[in-house]
Amino acid sequence: MTAAPPKDSDLAVELVGITKRFGAFTANRDVSLAVRRGEIHALIGENGAGKTTLMNCLFGMIVPDEGQIRVDGRAATILSPQDAIRLGLGMVHQHFKLVPSLTVAENIFLGMEPTRGGLIDRAAQSARVRDLSRRTGLTVDPDRPVRELSVGIEQRVEILKVLARGARTVILDEPTAVLTPQESRDLFRTLRGFTEAGMSVILITHHLDEVMAASDRVTVLRDGAAIGTEVTAETTEGRLAQMMVGRPVTFGRKARAATGGATVLSLRNVDAHDDRGLQALHDVSFAVRAGEIVAIAGVDGNGQTELAEVISGLRRLSHGQITLSGRDVSGAPADQVRAAGLAHVPADRLVRGVDTRETISANILMGRQHQAPWARGGIIRWGIVREAAKGLIGRFDIRTQGPDAPVKSLSGGNMQKVVLAREFSQEKPFLLVDQPTRGVDIGAMEGIHDEVMRQRAAGVAVLLISVQLDECLRLADRLLVMFNGRIQAEMDPETATLDEIGLQMMGGRTSERAAE
Amino acid sequence: MTDATAAVPAARKVPAWAEGPISVVFALVVSILGGALIILMVGENPVNVFGTLLRGAFGTPERVAGSLLQATPIITCGVAACIALRAGLFNIGVEGQLYVGAFAAAWIGFGFQLPPVLHAVVGLAAGMVAGALWISIPAIMRARYNANEVVSTILMNYVAVLLTSYLTIVVFKRPGGWSETEPVAATAHLMRLIDGSRVNIGLLIGLVAAVGLHLFLTRSSAGYSVSAMGSNPKFAEYGGVRVKRNIVLVLLASGAVGGLAGGVETLGVHHRFMEGFAPGFGFDGVIAALLANGHPLGVVVVALFFGALRAGSLLMEVETSARREIITVIPAFLILCVSAQFLFRRRGGVSGERRWRF
Repeated sequence: MTAAPPKDSDLAVELVGITKRFGAFTANRDVSLAVRRGEIHALIGENGAGKTTLMNCLFGMIVPDEGQIRVDGRAATILSPQDAIRLGLGMVHQHFKLVPSLTVAENIFLGMEPTRGGLIDRAAQSARVRDLSRRTGLTVDPDRPVRELSVGIEQRVEILKVLARGARTVILDEPTAVLTPQESRDLFRTLRGFTEAGMSVILITHHLDEVMAASDRVTVLRDGAAIGTEVTAETTEGRLAQMMVGRPVTFGRKARAATGGATVLSLRNVDAHDDRGLQALHDVSFAVRAGEIVAIAGVDGNGQTELAEVISGLRRLSHGQITLSGRDVSGAPADQVRAAGLAHVPADRLVRGVDTRETISANILMGRQHQAPWARGGIIRWGIVREAAKGLIGRFDIRTQGPDAPVKSLSGGNMQKVVLAREFSQEKPFLLVDQPTRGVDIGAMEGIHDEVMRQRAAGVAVLLISVQLDECLRLADRLLVMFNGRIQAEMDPETATLDEIGLQMMGGRTSERAAE
Repeated sequence: MTDATAAVPAARKVPAWAEGPISVVFALVVSILGGALIILMVGENPVNVFGTLLRGAFGTPERVAGSLLQATPIITCGVAACIALRAGLFNIGVEGQLYVGAFAAAWIGFGFQLPPVLHAVVGLAAGMVAGALWISIPAIMRARYNANEVVSTILMNYVAVLLTSYLTIVVFKRPGGWSETEPVAATAHLMRLIDGSRVNIGLLIGLVAAVGLHLFLTRSSAGYSVSAMGSNPKFAEYGGVRVKRNIVLVLLASGAVGGLAGGVETLGVHHRFMEGFAPGFGFDGVIAALLANGHPLGVVVVALFFGALRAGSLLMEVETSARREIITVIPAFLILCVSAQFLFRRRGGVSGERRWRF
């Protein structure tokens, strides 16, 4: 399964036997990776598998304990990003590092501005950006301030910045996390253009469909070690997933028994405004019954955030009525909605879901610090809280040293498990799950989906909000598509095709005509 | 993998629990060295000056009592600042609350006749009410209009100092001069703890407040909500904590304790309200709370240190040519060190990426 070793002269970058330890923790164990000239090489693995550490070694942000790095066939000593840049490496980070108030051209040439007579030659700067733009097909307006750009364009600026510094091998860390499907396709087309021009691309991702669509070869990391390198055309998603997780993984729709109960949550003609005061929800009405999963699908930013906040009491509605377990909770504060029967997995775990500075126990307690048996007479019973946290750590397979470990010591997937553990153990009649698997790897995703299904089987009414269409189709009994703050359509996940749903996500008929 | 700091624990040389104390000791050493440098610059021998300072603070039982006396208001003011700090709020107006609290307690003391003990209790209660009232304007403005409480509480300090001066000099003017009120009735005096010293029961009040706050924050349901709010307000709000209501309650409590510190000073130490009676106790308390990183028991330790510095500098001024103001350099260096560490910690938060700068 390992491709035949190519000749040294074919290799743009070669990492040999890289080992990096942090204290007792080995982030990379004897990892070797060979990237050929002119190929897109995908690097995949679960959270914490060591992808970022490996790339940080290559890019000089950390120095490996053992191993060797070769660039263009020559042994290279890379002690800082500056060394890496000199050797023709460029890295596009997941979180962009641009100055919002500066223009595109100023950002691209920051620190290496073309000068004339000691002053920055703005005209030359813009001209060079335009030239670079034309050669790569990455269209940008060099004189626009970065703060006015969309994320997709910001990413282009990041790539141009790397190219302007003479990169021949471009490393992209989770580049599609912030992009729409259309933007992702454009990005991959651009990357293909790079490799046709003889450059190399290292693509860090955990989306297998992107690996299949965009890469030539793929290397899988698991637990800090390289499991193998495959030729993309000769492998399958299932096989890669198994390499990543270490066991077979299924992607199909979850089997379910028919259930049907009383209405638990109902929204009637709900309107709400966003933070800027613009109307974000228009006349939203739907109901969720006990033992049923209703999924809200849609492109991010079509009112899902506001919908979740309105239901959970974190945002006031401007019109309409929300009923939870027979109680009118329209405009009630969060504690009253929780008391009426809400458990809530929020979309952004770092902002709302956890307090990273606190321990796992303290995070598990949130929302019930006034309730028996967790507290009595206004005094928290930390012994009981700790025991409960211990039990949940076992039940949800949270990888940690114990209930007293601070949440910030956990990986992203395990942080999400802390949120799920807290909310799923509330035993409330209604569960709001907002992007439950965002940034979570395939192995953990399985477990989260199983847990949601268990809640359904236990008779909980579940409202799933997700921008991952496959997640919605896998779990939902009923599928609602949201567009522009409205419920655009209701669909049957058993029969609806991806194309039909996609059409509704873009606004239905109108965009169909526009597309023709 | 996308989050380098979460997936890759940083190499640690010291255990996590020791980081706080070690950094405080480090800050102390740097501050004392900085102070020594300044003393050298004014032509004195640092060893001699610090020796005198130590003797002034701890040389005799009376001097230890003097240090405790100075530390008392700093402890209570520090607790006041801590209450706000742990909820993620800044009460920089402790000085002002101390002034209005001191005046209100004095007014009860000289303006009313009540039986012993009750008189003192009512006086201290009045001080607390005054402190709470004083911060209520910044508190409501913060909760309702999101007005920055740092600015508003600082500004209220000036109003407090000038208002109490006005009340002392104009409204309650004592016949015969002096910018102070009539003396407080003996029934309202706080019990003294040590013969021949003005150290009083206020010291115990401060210690009880510190321990009580610590227990409240770590053991009680309400305290959990408050510290969650200070640590991550969005998380607290999501979990059902009424953040806006708590902002008001926490600031009122903080102001009340600030007022209590003032009441203790007038009823326990001075037995009257004097214009400008409290040189910076409120600010020292805020600094103590910041240095202790909001930990109420740490505040006690820092306040005792500050008290010793204040008491010791009195003797230092008598015996050496170094002036008392020199010693204020040491807390200043401390603040510098602590804020520098704060900045470093911030930078550490993006470790792995921080070298990636063009």
